[in-house]
Amino acid sequence: MKIDNTKAQMRKGILEYCILEILESSDAYASDIIETLKKAKLIVVEGTLYPLLTRLKNAGLLEYRWEESNSGPPRKYYSLSKSGKEFQKDLKITWEELQTAVKIITNTPKNHE
Amino acid sequence: MNKTININLSGIIFYLDEEAYNLFNRYLIQVKNELESQEGGEEIIADIEARIAELFTIRLEKSRHQVITIHDINFICDTLGSPKEFMGEEEQSNEAHLNEVKSKKRLFRNPDEKVIGGVSSGIAAYFGTNMILIRIIFLLFLPFTGIGILLYVILWAAIPEAKTTAQKLQMKGEPVNLSNIKKSVTDELEGVKERFGQFGKNSSAKNNSFIIFLNRIASFILQVIEVVLKFIFNFIKIVLIIVASITGFVLFMILFGTIAETWNISGLNVISINGNLLGLNIAQAMLGNGIDLKLLQAGTLLILLFPILVLITLVAKALGRPLTKAKLFNVIGGISFLIGLAFIVYTVGQVATSFRVKATEMKKIQLSGRVFDIRADILERNEGFLFELNDDRLRIENIELQIKESKDSTASLILKHRAKGKSNSFARQRARLFDYPIDQTGEILSLSEYFSVPKEALYRGQALKVTLYLPPGSEIFMDPSIENLIFNIENAHDMLDENMLGHTWKMTEDGLLCADCEAIDYFSGSDVNGIMKDKEGKEEKEESSGMQRKIKELESEIKRLKSE
Repeated sequence: MKIDNTKAQMRKGILEYCILEILESSDAYASDIIETLKKAKLIVVEGTLYPLLTRLKNAGLLEYRWEESNSGPPRKYYSLSKSGKEFQKDLKITWEELQTAVKIITNTPKNHE
Repeated sequence: MNKTININLSGIIFYLDEEAYNLFNRYLIQVKNELESQEGGEEIIADIEARIAELFTIRLEKSRHQVITIHDINFICDTLGSPKEFMGEEEQSNEAHLNEVKSKKRLFRNPDEKVIGGVSSGIAAYFGTNMILIRIIFLLFLPFTGIGILLYVILWAAIPEAKTTAQKLQMKGEPVNLSNIKKSVTDELEGVKERFGQFGKNSSAKNNSFIIFLNRIASFILQVIEVVLKFIFNFIKIVLIIVASITGFVLFMILFGTIAETWNISGLNVISINGNLLGLNIAQAMLGNGIDLKLLQAGTLLILLFPILVLITLVAKALGRPLTKAKLFNVIGGISFLIGLAFIVYTVGQVATSFRVKATEMKKIQLSGRVFDIRADILERNEGFLFELNDDRLRIENIELQIKESKDSTASLILKHRAKGKSNSFARQRARLFDYPIDQTGEILSLSEYFSVPKEALYRGQALKVTLYLPPGSEIFMDPSIENLIFNIENAHDMLDENMLGHTWKMTEDGLLCADCEAIDYFSGSDVNGIMKDKEGKEEKEESSGMQRKIKELESEIKRLKSE
């Protein structure tokens, strides 16, 4: 079992949730999302995001519209679809549950000591 | 001086120096190989190309350079990352077989160098030949059987267009040089080995290239089959689209005609035949100028909004810029269609109920004298249409004239005006409102081809029956101008109406007797017609034999001239 592989898998699951979280506050085009994710150090290279966005869109969680851009080609502005919003709420609950779970577990040994 | 190559990325042209181009080319092929097999792969590739175009634009603006160099490409590679990472690390187990960057050629249509659909240039790129050659081959096929056209259309329908830059690179494949040929030969060999075990160990280079050639031909044939199937499918699709658009067009024109009718836009009246409806306004005559007409006008416009909005979204879609609010558009169109329909149904219902009850009003006009010459003022626009809207009166042509024996010794005209209405009182009120101009000057009795009602009475199936009662012994000349008025006039000879015209008739106790008819006129209607036909036939025969004689004369004349 490779440590890198485990790290990547942990990150990947969270990544989808984070994209939904970013889009929940406001619509954004790919580069905005990349910027935010990069700042949070969740991704290193941009390339990983595009397949993910397309997959989320094809799953019906995201919608997009075209907007003209001054620098470069027209941009795809993504937004959460109705089912995307529900999905995001669901994931939020799961994430909070996980967080508490991890907290409890990481704190437990101390209590036993 | 460095050579620059221009590429088109997401619709923007960039100039790359040679070094940058080679690196970028390789990078894009990797991206393509990595993502193409994925679901929605083409879309992801297009997204990435758009991002690269954006990054290029930003960098060129910052550096104030014109040409993209290897530094820019390296920046792109660093920012976007290695294509192998794109699908995430979960694919790591598959990594082994992805290591090999294969750039197999595929058949695409070339949108950059096209005359019609880019088929020739695409095929030329695939086989590495000159596209002029392929075009000449197509042209050679053209004059013979049309196979060239059919083949071209099939190929056009079947071969996808190279849309992304990566596809364009794949279309051209790698440049053919010695090292590449060797590389592709070994690649092919590997593949063949996998499939046929030990085969190919001792094959010479010549044999290998032959195998490659066969491979390509085979895949080409497969693609053609695919193309043919797609073509059949597309053909059915096109037929359906054509049928649908014709139906749509007809419906649209009918609707448009209704609108032109309700709004009385003369000149735009597409459903008028021979100009019958121009100047006449059915809707106004039926609905008046009140709320009902407004409702119908609004209804037709609201209904029209639907196809227009659908058309706009379809056009936008066809132009590759689907409207973000297309759904909203269609919902609005649909709702307005339903409201419009409701308006129209309401007004039509209103009108329909006002045809429920009928009432008849009678008027008697005494005539003087015993000799009459009956005639009619022919309408200027007499094309058999039912009614016409005049400034403030509705002119209606629905008149039937009868001639009967009078019970007393004086001549009289009885006018029976029938009208319909929502209720008995409405119908009766309407029946009273009519005006039929009649004039008797000496013997001449002038009738009119129309009667009129006030515009406010609206058209509600009004009809007028005019009966002329003549005492026995009186005489009447029936002028041909009353042809459109008379309706099955009884007479002692059972003659048809049209044959009665132009003759003087005497009222007797046996009915009307013709005073000046020739023997032939006394036959019953059908016999008269038969005799008339025979007569015409004879004339025709005579005419044609005369013609033949003339032709013979001319022929002999020609012979004479020739011999001279």
